[in-house]
Amino acid sequence: MKSVKKLAGSALVLSTILAGPALAADEQTITTVVKVTGENWFIRMNEGVDAFNADKEAIDATQIGPAQADAAQQARIIEDLVAKGVSAIAVVPMDPSALEGVLRRAQGRGIKVIAHEGDSIVNADADIEAFDNAAFGTKINEGLAECMGGEGKWTTFVGSLGSLTHNQWVDAGAANAEAKYPGMELVAAKNESFNDANKAYEKAKEILRAYPDIKGFQGSSAIDVIGIGRAIEEAGRSDQTCVFGLGLPKDTGPYLETGAVDRIYFWDPKDAGYVMNVVSEKILNGEEITDGADLGVQGYNSVKVSQGPGKGIIIQGQAWVDVGKENYGEYPF
Amino acid sequence: MPRADRQTVFLALINVIVLVTGALLAGANFIDSYNLQIMAAQVPELGLLALGVTLAMISGNGGIDLSGIALANLSGIVSFLVVRALVVPGDDPLLFSWTFAGVAIAVGLVGGLLNGIVIAFAGLTPLIATLGTQLLFTGVAVWLTNGSALSLGYIPPLDSFGNLPVLGVPLCFTLFVVVAALIAYILRYTPFGVKLMLLGSNAKAAHYGGIPARRMIVITYTICGILASIAGVVIASRNLSVKWDYGSSYVLIAILIAVLGGVKPEGGYGKVLCVLLAATALQILSSLFNFLGISNFFRDLAWGVLLLALLASARVNFSIWLPSRQ
Repeated sequence: MKSVKKLAGSALVLSTILAGPALAADEQTITTVVKVTGENWFIRMNEGVDAFNADKEAIDATQIGPAQADAAQQARIIEDLVAKGVSAIAVVPMDPSALEGVLRRAQGRGIKVIAHEGDSIVNADADIEAFDNAAFGTKINEGLAECMGGEGKWTTFVGSLGSLTHNQWVDAGAANAEAKYPGMELVAAKNESFNDANKAYEKAKEILRAYPDIKGFQGSSAIDVIGIGRAIEEAGRSDQTCVFGLGLPKDTGPYLETGAVDRIYFWDPKDAGYVMNVVSEKILNGEEITDGADLGVQGYNSVKVSQGPGKGIIIQGQAWVDVGKENYGEYPF
Repeated sequence: MPRADRQTVFLALINVIVLVTGALLAGANFIDSYNLQIMAAQVPELGLLALGVTLAMISGNGGIDLSGIALANLSGIVSFLVVRALVVPGDDPLLFSWTFAGVAIAVGLVGGLLNGIVIAFAGLTPLIATLGTQLLFTGVAVWLTNGSALSLGYIPPLDSFGNLPVLGVPLCFTLFVVVAALIAYILRYTPFGVKLMLLGSNAKAAHYGGIPARRMIVITYTICGILASIAGVVIASRNLSVKWDYGSSYVLIAILIAVLGGVKPEGGYGKVLCVLLAATALQILSSLFNFLGISNFFRDLAWGVLLLALLASARVNFSIWLPSRQ
């Protein structure tokens, strides 16, 4: 036992000596925390974070995220970053309300908090929305309604019932259909895919069984349309159904080609990742972001700024894109 | 050194090694008091669930509790819905917090009792039974909340419990250690604990020895339920919100901690101190990876390596390669 203690003691001494220089570096660090790593959406976001990191000499920008999409794991990562003492945390919250506590403590330690897709967060200095969520949901639904000819059964998918933006999109979609297209009947609304294409596939198969005459699907998570598209392709119903929703061109491409998925809507996560870091930098430098400001990224050239639920601001761009079979190839992600 | 002791030392050593490596790689921030407190405050959620799994495993007959995190979330949800109707948190936050904890633990007790009864009297395999109750608890929780998170609002006493250090130690960690000590005492020094070990190592012999197996099983799983609900209170206090799917990755991690802690999955053996050390080791490792910005996928890999190393250390006798000491 004695030798063990000695070993531990000397290692501790050594560590304090070696740790000295690490403290000396005083460049700003901005860490982007995403919902889950390894998903294409967030891989693309990482490109934006890396691009920002390459553009700015004095700032160390990185991206991290849990291996499983779990709000608990995300909260733990943020806690560890607070302990590490980063300058700013840019977070895409899995479940905003589960992060309030840890974000309040982050701000208490002088760390700036920037959120994306979480306009309900109280303890943030700024929240960035790519666009007005209700308008986006309505836009998707308009496309869907046109494809369906304004009538028939349709359903909606969300990543999870706790994902705020997903719910705003499908709620706005449902409101739009109800107000303008009396022939459209919403059935089994808000199926949860848990950001997992296989779960979306299973759910879509169940729905095809329960409602063989279903005509429309509105997806919310980037993988919803992939799962739905696969189920529809297997059922051989590509021509009778309309699948609209958030999606990434590269992933969804094969389904757009076969017509299983009809049109996808998205904003470029690379730009979102970049712009989160731009806003972080501005806030760290004490710069104010005002209505109509130009953040230097496509779609965020004239942002709308409003007061958030807490002390922070909500920044809204006009950064949506929609593509179909003919032009999805223009976006290499 | 006896086998059990060697394992304790080995686990303690791993804690030290990971901590020192962390200090070397991540800088002094890693071992400053703030980070140590943060890490300590993160342990109880998983640690309490792992203790539940430990008890279930010790009881033998393929004992396991998969419903822990589901019951933890359900306890928080039910308790908040009930207490919200009785006490206005703004008026008396302290009363609110205590009532919240009380009701949550009551829910945990009922849930655990249900597990125990299903396993002991319906004769279901624990794996299947707790998988079933996990779905049941989750289902009820989703039904009660429509799937969305319930925000508790900022309740100072509850928030302090989850995050405030007293004498340098976060309160929730203190509670975890006290609970662990209590379980350790029960296992080691009470007739119940001794009987449980016997039941776990040889159910047939225990039966002929006059040990009331069914009652033992019911009590064990009830304790598991109570532990889960305490975890639920910790979760609620640390996030100030409750949701049905919080910690959905915890089921397997809790089992991993128990096995890392040397608990025999076939029953009859388990040491609370080792489980506690396994929980802290995993926590330090996971925080370290976040400090270094290493992919969380790699963390799972590292946990797997750690598990294999520990299992090997329990089986292989390293002392033949070490210089003998008297």
